[in-house]
Formats: sequence, structure tokens, C-alpha cells
Amino acid sequence: MYGLEAISTHNGWAMAVAGVIIVFAALVVLSSTIAQFHKILNFLDDRAASQNDKGLQKACGAEDFPASDPLRMQNLAVSARQFRLISDRLGEPFPLPKLLGLAELSGLPRPHSAINDLLKAGLIAPDGKGYFFWKQ
Amino acid sequence: MELFFQFLSNTGFYLADYRHLIMIVVGFVFLYLGTAKEYEPLLLVPIGFGILVGNVPFFKGFGLGIYENNSVLHYLYFGVTSGLYPSIVFLGLGAMTDFSSLLARPILMLLGAAAQMGIFFTLLSAMALGYLPREAASIAIIGGADGPTSIFLTAKLAPHLIGPVAIAAYSYMALIPVIQPPIMRLLTSREERLIRMPELREVSKKERVLFPVAAVLLSCFLAPASIPLLGMFFFGNFLKECGVTERLAQTARTSIIDTATILLGLTVGASTQGDVFLTPKSVGIFFLGAVAFSIATASGVIFAKIMNLFLKVKINPLLGAAGVSAVPGSAREVHLVGLSEDPENFLLMHAMACNSSGVIGSAICAGILWSFMIGL
Repeated sequence: MYGLEAISTHNGWAMAVAGVIIVFAALVVLSSTIAQFHKILNFLDDRAASQNDKGLQKACGAEDFPASDPLRMQNLAVSARQFRLISDRLGEPFPLPKLLGLAELSGLPRPHSAINDLLKAGLIAPDGKGYFFWKQ
Repeated sequence: MELFFQFLSNTGFYLADYRHLIMIVVGFVFLYLGTAKEYEPLLLVPIGFGILVGNVPFFKGFGLGIYENNSVLHYLYFGVTSGLYPSIVFLGLGAMTDFSSLLARPILMLLGAAAQMGIFFTLLSAMALGYLPREAASIAIIGGADGPTSIFLTAKLAPHLIGPVAIAAYSYMALIPVIQPPIMRLLTSREERLIRMPELREVSKKERVLFPVAAVLLSCFLAPASIPLLGMFFFGNFLKECGVTERLAQTARTSIIDTATILLGLTVGASTQGDVFLTPKSVGIFFLGAVAFSIATASGVIFAKIMNLFLKVKINPLLGAAGVSAVPGSAREVHLVGLSEDPENFLLMHAMACNSSGVIGSAICAGILWSFMIGL
């Protein structure tokens, strides 16, 4: 049997149409799913980050501290611990230049930037007389 | 003297007929294309040498030929007829494939679906030419331009056609630089070929790890018959991306796939014994294979042009030609055609996205065709 008759007898038209529809449906579903991947992952990451931020804000007592990524918050906590150890030798309140000098002597990385971050985060606060103290 | 003549009558020189000689010439052509022209050498060299081995005439009944029980070649050929080698090749392919570009631009996946039209068009053509449905499906899958998938489906549906189907599929894959560029140029204007694709976004590791898991579930739930191919493919990709099984991924994409490719190529080549292979059906398969491959290329390009009617950011329609699953040959060809129009238009990564979706698409098609043919 040949020609259109053979196609009809073997149900070829239905196979071809169904085949095209199924393969398109499969790849459309797959492409729509993977198109949402990064959005879902970003959403989950943001949620995790905001939960970390809240935890740290609570620990710091700085309610107005801006939300940021978890890695930055982790770095900030490490910096705070290191500078706290150094400032213990100075007592409170302490002058910032001395804290900076001791940090440089101790070999802490990027002390200017780290102190700036601690100030921005509200972990170190001015006492109004030119000195600074830990806010908790 | 009688013993001497008896020995002579058992030699290949005495037993050879014109069909063996024709196939030996075909084997030489494959070896020439693979070694001198470097067209897909990893495939054409084992197949070409297999054709030589399979077409040395021998005395029937010695247990030497690939179709004789208990011969070494017959045992090795079991990996083809059972679908074992194609599955192993897919494992290695998965461990090699980087889906980053596809994840960055998922819409390109539609081009991988569009290029499968060639399969279904050829299914109808083969039926119209008098092939039985199972044979027609085996021939049609050549349009996917995926050797292992073609062999896998043919082994399941029409094992007597494995030789011609595999040879046709691999021949057209090797001839991509000859077949695809004229079709691409014919169907696109110069302005379209000059379209530049936007830079791809960076894809996170989490996305790359999640993709094979989601993809295997979605595609195999829809077409369970593609589990042997896609299951292995995405498993290989998960080994690569999860970050803790690098040693396994490394083995899958080197030793394992190389071993399977050698055995697959050699036995497929050896299965083309002149007396079995040279039939009118084989000629028809070669003709239909060319039709399937050309239509697959054309439908990918045309679909890309149709997509451009609706998209704000146009895509380069050349990418449609990479929707066939000949990885990375067709992606490379798209890239070269793009470069020939504009030396600063780099389409390779985008074409690889279409190419990898073509692999998924053709494996799904194989699953669909297999399930359609159950009971026929």
C-alpha cells in the first residue's frame, strides 16, 4: 500500500499531529519551568537573607540597619568580634584613631573600611564628645 | 593440491561478490572523510573500519559474522540491539553538556522542538512510500540527527534496519557542513543573519544542579519511553553539576563514552554486510534520511522567523538550524555562517542552547514514536 492511503491506514496523520503536539508541549513546559528557576531561587535567597538580617539586627539592637546579603552580615559579625577584642585594651569610650592604629598593628584587613561598616551598621556609636562606644 | 584449492575456495577473494566490494568502497569513503577531512572522526573512523571488517567475505557457519550466533561480533552487537550502547553514550553526553546557555535563555528551547518537525514529516513520507509503520518510525528518527537515538529506536522497532539507519544518520551528521549552510542561507535574508543576540546572563550553580532533576522528571513523566536515553542523559549531567561526584562525571565523559562509541561504531559498521545491507530499502532510507535532516533544519529556521514576529528582542533565525541534535556540529555551523556575515557576531553559545534542547527533543520524539508503535 502506498501514498495517502497508506498513511491513513496506518493512522499516520494522527501520529504526526499528536507527536508534534506532545514534543512541543514537553519542551514548552520544560522551558517555562526553567525560566522560573532563577526567580524562585532569588526569592528563596532573599528570604533567607532577610531572615539573617533580622537575626543580626536583633542581636545588634540596631533596628534601622539596612537589609543586605548574608555574606556581608557574616563579615560584619566577624569584624565586630575582632574590633571588640582590640578595643577592650582601650576601654570605653575610645578614640577612633587609636582603634584604627591598633587594628593596623594587629594586621586586620582593610581596617578603615571595616570600621566604616561598623559605624554604618550602628554597632559603634559616637558619644557626642569625640569618642565612641560599643552600642551593646 | 586438493587441500590447497579447498583453502582457496574458503578465502575472501573467492567468496567476494560485487556487494562486498561496494561496501568496502563505502568503508574507504567513511575512513577518508573521518581522517583526511576530519568530518566527525570519532564516529566515522570506527564505523568505516567496521564496514571493512563486516564486509570481508567468509564461509558461513564458522561463527564469524555479526549475524551468526556465538560469534564475537554478535556478542558485541548485542549492545546495539539491546539499546545498551546508546544509553551509555547518553550518560557520557550528559556529563559533557553545559546547560548554562539554555538556562539563561529558555525560550531557545522551542527551536529544539521545532526542528523535530522533520521527524514527523518523514514518518508520513516513509509510510507513503510503503514502509511499515515501525520501519517508517525508525527512518523518521534520522531527522533528529542523533545517531544514538536513531540506533536505539531502530533496535526497538525495526532491528533489521539498524545498519542503514545508523549509517544514514551518521553520514548526515558528518555532512552537516555540506547540508545545513545552503538551507540556512536560502531561508534567511542578510539582515536576519546579521541579528546579534544579547549577552547571556550568568547562571547560578543552584540552577544548574536543579535543572537535570526537574528536566528528567518532566520529560520522562510525559514520555516514559524515553527513560533509557533521557534518564541516563540527565543523570550524567547531574554527576557533572552536583559538584561532589567529579570523578564519576570525568569517567562518564571520557572512558565510558569512548568505550561505548568504539563498540557502537565498530559493530554498526560491521552490521552493513553487503548481502544484507544493499537492498532497495536501504537506498530509500538514505533518500528519506536526507529529506528528514533537511526538513528538520528548515523547520527550525522557519520557526525562529515566526517567533521573531512576536518577540520584542529578535533572535537570529540561523539558530533554528541548531535545533537538530547533532552536538556540536550544527551549533558550530550556525556560528560559522553567522561569522561569515559579521565577523563579530558570536552565536556559538546561543546555538549550543538550541543544540542541547534538540538532544532532549529528539529523545522525547523517540519515546513518543516507540509508544505509538506498541501493539502495531
